[in-house]
Amino acid sequence: MIRLEGIHKQFKGPVLRDVSLDVPAGCIFALIGPGAAGKSVLFKIVAGLVEPDAGKVFVDEDEITALDALALNVVRRKIGYLFQNYALFDMTVAENIAFPLRRLFDLPEAEIQERVAERLERVALPGTQQRIPASMSGGQKKRVGVARATIARPPIVLYDEPTAGLDPVTSQKIYDLIREEQRSGDTTVMVISSDVSGVLTIADRVGMLHEGRLVFDGTADEARSSEIPVVRQFVHGLTEGPL
Amino acid sequence: MSESVALVLPAKIGSGLLSIASQIGGVAMLLGQILARLNPRKIDRHELFRNLHRMGVRSVPIISATAAFTGGIMVIQAAPFVEQFQATGFIGWAATFTTFREIGPLLIGLIFNGRVGANNTAELGTMAVTDQIDALRALAIDPVAYLVVPRVLAMVSMMVCLCVIGDAVALGGAMLTADLLLDVSPQLFWSSAMERLEIWDFWVGLIKAFLFGLMIALMSCYYGLATRGGAPGVGRAVNASVVAAAAGIFIADYCSTFILD
Repeated sequence: MIRLEGIHKQFKGPVLRDVSLDVPAGCIFALIGPGAAGKSVLFKIVAGLVEPDAGKVFVDEDEITALDALALNVVRRKIGYLFQNYALFDMTVAENIAFPLRRLFDLPEAEIQERVAERLERVALPGTQQRIPASMSGGQKKRVGVARATIARPPIVLYDEPTAGLDPVTSQKIYDLIREEQRSGDTTVMVISSDVSGVLTIADRVGMLHEGRLVFDGTADEARSSEIPVVRQFVHGLTEGPL
Repeated sequence: MSESVALVLPAKIGSGLLSIASQIGGVAMLLGQILARLNPRKIDRHELFRNLHRMGVRSVPIISATAAFTGGIMVIQAAPFVEQFQATGFIGWAATFTTFREIGPLLIGLIFNGRVGANNTAELGTMAVTDQIDALRALAIDPVAYLVVPRVLAMVSMMVCLCVIGDAVALGGAMLTADLLLDVSPQLFWSSAMERLEIWDFWVGLIKAFLFGLMIALMSCYYGLATRGGAPGVGRAVNASVVAAAAGIFIADYCSTFILD
C-alpha cells in the first residue's frame, strides 16, 4: 500500500501541489499526464529519493517522510524501481541483475546465478548474462531493468516510462510482462507512461497529474469516459482542448 | 547606466561568493560523510582494489615518463649556473631537495588531477545524469560508502605511492642528465644528495602528496556527484573539478610549505 497526503514539492517553481492519493496493495496504478507534470518527481518521493517540502508518504505502515536514513533503507528494500533511462550500471547484464542480491542479501552464488537466469527467462532475454547493456537495444535494456527491479521480489514496484521509445509490439510485451509480474508476485505496482492507451490495458486505477496537481483518480474505464477537459483530451489524444 | 552597474556588480560579487561558500560547504560535508564511513570492515574491498589498480597502477607509465623528463629539465636549467660557479658538487643535493620537497608532489599532483581526477568526475557525473546514483539509493545502497569511500582511499594512497615512484624516476632522469651534460658521475650526484639531504625533506613531499591526493579526491567526487544537466553538465563538472582541484593543490602547497618548513 502506498499513500500520499498533501504532497508539495518545489524546485525552481512548484512541481507538485497538494497531491494526495492511495494505491491499494496488489493494485496496478497508472500515473499519466503531460510532460513536466511532476510524475517522475512523485515516484522519487515515493521511493524516498526526493524529500517533499510538505506532506506525508506512507509505504505500508511506514511514514517514510519521518524516517532516518537507516530506517529509510529498510523501506527501500521493499521497492523495486525501473528508471526511465534504465540506469543500468557499467557491468554485464548478469552483474546488473544480481547487484541487489549480492549487496543486500547473503545468498550462495549458485542461488544468485539461478535467480538471474530465471529473471532473464522471465523477461525473454535468456542467455544474455555476459552481454554489456550498452550493446543492447532500448527494449532489451528496459527488460534488463525490469529484471533488476524485480529480482529481490519486492512487494512494491515502480516503473517509470517502461515503454518510452519502444515500438508498439515491444511496448505491449513490456505491459504484459508487468501484468504477469504483478499477478505472480501479488505486488503493488505504479507505472508512469505517456502511452496512455497501452497502460490503460493493464491499469486497475489511473491518476492524472497536470501542472503538479492530481486532476483525476479513478478506474481505467472512468478515465476513458471522463468529462474533465484535460483528462478527456489527454486520454483520447485530442488536439483541441486546454492542453 | 552607472547606477545599474553599481547594483549589478555587488550582486554578481555576492552571488559568486555565495556559490564559492556553497561549494566549500558541500566539499566539507562530503568529507564528513566519508570520515563517518571509514570503517575498515565496511569498506568495499572489490571496489577499493579495482580503483587502486585503474587509478594507481595505470598511472605509473605517464607519471614515470613525466618525472624522468622533469628531473632532466631541472639539471638542464641549473647547468649554466652550476658551471659558472663551479658548483657541480651541489647538483645532486639541489635536484633531490627540489624534487622531494616541491617539484615531485606538485607535478605528479597536477598530472594525477588531469588523468585520474577528471576521469573520476566524468564517471560519477555520467552516473549522476543517467540516474545510476539514484538507482543505487533506490536499491538501499549508500553511494558515498559504495562509490566515494573506495575512490578517495585509492586516490590518496596511490598519490603517495606515485610520488615515491615519481621521485625515484625524476632522480634517475636528473642523474643521467647530470652525467651527460655536466660530467657529474652518478656516484658524485648521489653522495652530494646524501650528504646534505634530511629524511624530513622526503617526508615533506609525502605529506604534500597526501594533501594533494585528498584535494583531488574530494573535488572530483564532489563535482561528479553534483553533476546536473546531461552531457554538457558532465563537461562543466569535469572542468570545474580540475580547476578547483588545481587551485586547491596550489593553496595546499603554499600552506604546507609555510607550515612544514
